[in-house]
Amino acid sequence: MRVPSSKKITLILGAELGKLITLPLTWLTLIGTFILNLFLAAAFTSVGLQETAGTQSILNIGLASMGYLQAGFIILGILAACSEYTGGQIRTTLTTVPWRGLQLSLKHLALAIVTIPAAFIIAASGVFYTFIRMRDTATGLEIDTMLAAIAGATGYLTLTTLLSAAMGALIRRTTPALVILLGYYFVVSPLTRDLLPGLKRYLPDTAGSYMYMPLSSEEVNVLTALQGTGILMLWTLLFIIVASIFYRRRDA
Amino acid sequence: MRAFNAELSKLFSLPGIWLAYLIGAIAPAAISALESMAQKEEILAGVSTRLSEVGYIGLALGVQGVIILGVLAVSSEYLTESSESGGGQQITTSLTVVSSRFHLLLAKACAVTVTSILLSVVAIMTTISATHFVLGEYTPAFEVSKLIGAVCYWTFTALLAFGITVLTRNGIIPLAVLIINTSVVSFSFLLSKVTKLALYLPDRVGIEMFMFTSDRFLTPFTGGLVMFAWVFVLFIVAAIVFHRRDVAA
Repeated sequence: MRVPSSKKITLILGAELGKLITLPLTWLTLIGTFILNLFLAAAFTSVGLQETAGTQSILNIGLASMGYLQAGFIILGILAACSEYTGGQIRTTLTTVPWRGLQLSLKHLALAIVTIPAAFIIAASGVFYTFIRMRDTATGLEIDTMLAAIAGATGYLTLTTLLSAAMGALIRRTTPALVILLGYYFVVSPLTRDLLPGLKRYLPDTAGSYMYMPLSSEEVNVLTALQGTGILMLWTLLFIIVASIFYRRRDA
Repeated sequence: MRAFNAELSKLFSLPGIWLAYLIGAIAPAAISALESMAQKEEILAGVSTRLSEVGYIGLALGVQGVIILGVLAVSSEYLTESSESGGGQQITTSLTVVSSRFHLLLAKACAVTVTSILLSVVAIMTTISATHFVLGEYTPAFEVSKLIGAVCYWTFTALLAFGITVLTRNGIIPLAVLIINTSVVSFSFLLSKVTKLALYLPDRVGIEMFMFTSDRFLTPFTGGLVMFAWVFVLFIVAAIVFHRRDVAA
């Protein structure tokens, strides 16, 4: 059957979205992340309220949970990629969609479509909660900077999800992929931050963190938000390209 | 005893378990080496502050190897095979062969314990040699009591991971929670700022067995005891749940 190429793309995208949305773990992960984020925001806020009132900004505290939050999105990305490999679903996928490069890139697109609203809601809810709790004590806050920070956080979470999906497609097993990514984000990266500070500008998570971190006066910001976005995007693209090269060459 | 041997052989032949051994053996040494290099500069500059902790940081963070071990030991049993190879779960086979659920769980826990003790001994040896290699004559003395504390910490953490996975039957949640919690930015550390009760969480008290925390509030021995109590309670809960639950559900 000949299908025109534009229709083909819509069909594959629809199929990938369908697979992602009907995966029960997608929703469990997102809901779990949402609830966890509120708990963390509550914890950070009460820590913030204990300290000297009036000096710290709502954004700093509202986005402090980002470090933990990204774990949920890493899991989401890995699940989206690795669920194909549990139970041989990948062979069905490749029988119906024999264009591997196209299929993998549309899978990432579908993942981004699901992630962007979810990341926005989750990041915004954390900031919003902090805003309600700290309205009276914290210093004033412009709506522009708040929106920019939330947009940056959304972008960061989305790119991290895509990076994890590419890593998942590369490794193909959930547990090793999860261990490697979580180990990097939560152990290796904080250590290198202290021990090898020169690398900070170039690593995906630290460079990406400039996308949402509000400008602080005490630390000299080495990157602007745009530069951070660029570096994180380069990393993500690099991983997606490597993953698709392997995906095209390797036996499913 | 035969169940124990079977569990050991399963544990060593799992797909993905190589990562546990690799991380467990290499990561503490690598982290300590990096830390030692930073320390060495400070020593040469004469401002060393944390020399006595140098190898233990690696051991505290490298515990992830045994977390993977404990999680995989259980989650692999519940992994559904692909439909091309029958769509079964290993747990049905295991329970057919060893029909006493308690014995199966006990054999598995023993296998995890023995393996994580071995792994922690290997990790301690690599860590000490890495520290010696970098620091040379400045190497602090490693106290035996603290090293035993580290072995206990690793074993208890592996058993915690094991118990949580028996309850969740899925490796993702315990892996994510435990890996984040043993990292530099742990949940418990955050919680301990909110309430003092969080200092009794298993990883905080476990750390007391061999780390010099600035706000120490338990002796190493009581720390180990509290952590053992966590492990024990969790194991009993896991045993009850495992005993009563339908395998297929």
